Amino acid sequence: MKHLTQEELIGRYYNERGGDGEDSAAVEQHFAGCAACIESYAALSWDLSEIKAPETPERDPAYGERVWAALEPKLVPHKTERWSWLRGGIVLRGLGYAAVCGLVAVGAFYAGEQWQKKQPNVAAEKAPPTKAKPRVVVVVLSDHLDRSERLLVELKHVDAGSTEMVSPLRDEARSLLAANKICRQKASQEDDPALTTALDRLDHLLNGLANQPGGLNSAAIERLQEEMNADGLLFEVRVLRSRLPDEQGAGANRPNGGTI
Amino acid sequence: MLRMGRNDHETIRAVLSGDKEAYGALVVRHSHSLFRVAFRITGNEADAEDVVQEAFLRGYQKLEGFESRSNFSTWIYRIAVRCALDKVSGRKADAHSSQVGEENDPEQDAVQVADKSAGPDRLLLSAEISALQKAAMQSLTATEQTAFVLRHMEDCSTEEIGAALGIAPNAAKQAVFRAVHKMRSRLSTLRVRI
Repeated sequence: MKHLTQEELIGRYYNERGGDGEDSAAVEQHFAGCAACIESYAALSWDLSEIKAPETPERDPAYGERVWAALEPKLVPHKTERWSWLRGGIVLRGLGYAAVCGLVAVGAFYAGEQWQKKQPNVAAEKAPPTKAKPRVVVVVLSDHLDRSERLLVELKHVDAGSTEMVSPLRDEARSLLAANKICRQKASQEDDPALTTALDRLDHLLNGLANQPGGLNSAAIERLQEEMNADGLLFEVRVLRSRLPDEQGAGANRPNGGTI
Repeated sequence: MLRMGRNDHETIRAVLSGDKEAYGALVVRHSHSLFRVAFRITGNEADAEDVVQEAFLRGYQKLEGFESRSNFSTWIYRIAVRCALDKVSGRKADAHSSQVGEENDPEQDAVQVADKSAGPDRLLLSAEISALQKAAMQSLTATEQTAFVLRHMEDCSTEEIGAALGIAPNAAKQAVFRAVHKMRSRLSTLRVRI
């Protein structure tokens, strides 16, 4: 077996065993019987043990309060409504309303079905053949941002080496691409540069996830994770999502969705 | 008056519901540990104090993005590391622009250090080691320097370093390796003399 590389020696010094268990055992076995490696390791250990952390100057116990005194005037209080709706049962009330709306929709659908069955089927016979209507899909921005946020969180924590984890990510990215395109167009029409830019970045990332040439390998995942972190995309999506309920309620000219 | 006694998560909830003053408890609780890491990375007291201020300011602004399952001390520590990295990067960029054309020569550093020191042999040696170490640290890039401090002095794992610097663990590992190579090479003069 070859001698240990400098990287392996450094990894060993910092208790970082590279490779799998077998590799690691082979490295240790070689190391135990190789005088040259032991000598190199001893030199490295000596050098590194000489590098000590500089003595940190003591801060007095009131240091934290001085930091706060200097910082406090620069801070603006966080808005209360963003979090208060998470507490105080408003979420539960919202879920209740949603359930009632769902029941009404199901009831209306069922009633429509029954009514249609009772009608004589003459209209269809008489009506001239018409072109099939285009499929209508409503894309709601808040739902889209919700799903995108979940995807980004999963991407952030995914183990790049696990194909089981990576494959659902790719599928979800593919399904989000079309919706993202619509929302982006709408944001662009509505002249919302912040949203357009964020959706542009999201589009780039989704494309990377969905259409990676040669499939999503661990290097590609790591690159996409870096790209996401560098852009602060997850944070941006959260900010956009958090401001949506206010703005959607406040006016109809927000780009809150689109159709295909 | 700062209110203490609540845990970090309770305090964060209070801050996010509009109680700005509650953030003061977090600042007081974590200032000393942030100062320590900031000083180790920047090597300068004034810079370290700036870093602590900046980290808490950024932390406050990003607090809505704080995930409740995370640990606030880890989260703010990472922000402080980023701020320190920015500080060191800025300093290196300034130094580079004012020293364009001047190559760093390890021997030159060693000579300068020896000339500055005076006194008994032991003190001289200790001062020399410390100054050489500082000069060696300054020869690293900002990322290498930060990664090395986190690995060697703060005992962080490669994953923690990657997370703090916003890079992949493998890139963090490589940064530590490069730093160790450079440090050893710069400190080799010391090895010969001792």
